[in-house]
Amino acid sequence: MTNEPNSNALSLQLLADRSLIRAGAHSTRYFTATLVAPTAERREQPLPVNVALVLDRSGSMSDARKFELAREAVESALGMLRKTDRFSLVVYDDHIDVLARSTLATDTARRNALRALAEIQPRGSTDLGAGWLTGCEQVAEHLDRSGVNRCLLLTDGLANHGITDPGQLAMHARELRVRGVVTSTFGVGADFDERLLRDMAHEGGGTFTFIEGAAQIPEAVTAELGEAAEVTVREASIRVDAPEGVRVEVLNRFRSSTDPATGSLVVVIGDLVSNQEITAALSATFPTGEIGEQVGIRFSALEQDHNVLGAGGKLTWTFATHSENDAQARERAVDRAVASVFASRARAEATEANRRGDLATAKRVLIGTARRIKGYAANDGELRQLAQSLEAAVSEYSVAEMSPYALKASLYAHENALKSRTPSGRATRRES
Amino acid sequence: MGLIVGTFDLQELASQAGVTARTIRYYIKQGLLPSAESRGPLTRYGAGHLDRLRLINRLKQGHLPLSEIRLRLEDLDDEAVRRILENASPRKPQRSAAAYVRDVLAQRTRHPDASSSFPSLHQVPVASTRLVASPSEAYGGSADEQENTLHGSRVKSEPRSTWERIGLSPDIELHVRRPLSRQQNHQLDQLLKAARELISDDDS
Repeated sequence: MTNEPNSNALSLQLLADRSLIRAGAHSTRYFTATLVAPTAERREQPLPVNVALVLDRSGSMSDARKFELAREAVESALGMLRKTDRFSLVVYDDHIDVLARSTLATDTARRNALRALAEIQPRGSTDLGAGWLTGCEQVAEHLDRSGVNRCLLLTDGLANHGITDPGQLAMHARELRVRGVVTSTFGVGADFDERLLRDMAHEGGGTFTFIEGAAQIPEAVTAELGEAAEVTVREASIRVDAPEGVRVEVLNRFRSSTDPATGSLVVVIGDLVSNQEITAALSATFPTGEIGEQVGIRFSALEQDHNVLGAGGKLTWTFATHSENDAQARERAVDRAVASVFASRARAEATEANRRGDLATAKRVLIGTARRIKGYAANDGELRQLAQSLEAAVSEYSVAEMSPYALKASLYAHENALKSRTPSGRATRRES
Repeated sequence: MGLIVGTFDLQELASQAGVTARTIRYYIKQGLLPSAESRGPLTRYGAGHLDRLRLINRLKQGHLPLSEIRLRLEDLDDEAVRRILENASPRKPQRSAAAYVRDVLAQRTRHPDASSSFPSLHQVPVASTRLVASPSEAYGGSADEQENTLHGSRVKSEPRSTWERIGLSPDIELHVRRPLSRQQNHQLDQLLKAARELISDDDS
């Protein structure tokens, strides 16, 4: 069941929950694919950074020193750049101002940008779409495909002017990602549209960060930029090649696509930073077969331009009788990883049900998932505790409508869990 | 396609072909591209390398894995590669990111109040955000035969609040977060009335 880790700098480790499948029925089996990126020291030199900082300057940003702290964040962020990196600075309300066109991060350029920013005061409503797109344009005009090209959008409000449809904004984010511009979003406070910012980041290949209080703005922005400077693998993905008749699906919230020519499933992970660890949980549904016959699924780790990185492997299952299947041992590490993903999905679904006032569905989802986890938990303490925590969550999601803050915090927590990131939204690093 | 003359260093070749230098080195290592004839700082690549890179790109866009592409290329000389490229149907070049943004912003400027011609994700199913199964139905330990169902449909709900600008004079605005309670609306009306009277007194 276990693939031997590859010796290359990027490692791909595979683990399946069980090794036998039913000869006379369609079996579903679960497995995990864990990518660990090489450390930054292994690269020849750091990747060049080309970043746009896009700040909401609408009237509400004057509350609680939000804009003042955003200015501090910009100053800290610019201080992190090398002189060979590029930056641009855009502010928007219902009017867009490019305070600094894309330029190399020299001392003079930074000073000029900060001086221009110091004169900006919050005002007006929110043309988020045009502000963000203008930042993306600045990145695009100096796109360096060998480097990190990213637009960082910080807002406390909605898109209530210009392009307001969340679906369109997410689509534009996807189109720009395909063309090399990654979007990361930061939402501050209680009033922004968290699903909009989450979807823009998801489609845009970046990260969404929920900032509860204005005081956290500088740290959040600098953490994102710090990670951008530590990218060691660009546009990582996992290609899964299964034989005909075997259906493979990814359970986490990673983008995926099926190659129509080969039938391969490509799970898009995105940029990986130094020593980052990503675990994707997947399922495979098998056809029936002859006892003793084997079925294998091959995996390859890919990077930018779909180049194979060398890390790869194979998992193999064997057709067996019902009694052999029922008696086989389970790999508990996979059970726990997959159950954790389903628990996060249940909470995410309960959050959305609560948002639309459907408390009954919120409760049903949580209780149903808990019941199923208990069904295979047996004596495993972690699995039993996971099920119990879902049952306890009923009081949080299905008794009363959640506050705007609670909805945001819940969405954020589960988005991070489903993307194999820490609860605070940072890359999960393998302990060395 | 015109005849390519001259030679390129690695960066020039990468730029012409629309790939990274690292990709080129990888392809050489994997046998998809021949090595350059010289070595070191004087290393030059020829038109044949560029044609092969372009053909590799086209074949990748056709979803062929690199192993298959290598098989297809290994018996082709430079002339054969060039003939294939010339005979291939021309592809519509994908707009760059900068051109894409300019087009979107220009359309917005032309039609600020009309919905964009780009399809909305609310109408078009997006495979990349599809979830496998409803958590309430999946991962049954003994229910191997359960059929997974689609999940994750987007539910539209009203935003929780919006900000409204109320101009009091050319240089003074009031910002209000809606919705307000009845009492707050009444207070706002009184505030606006008093503010406008104050401003008009100053103007007179």
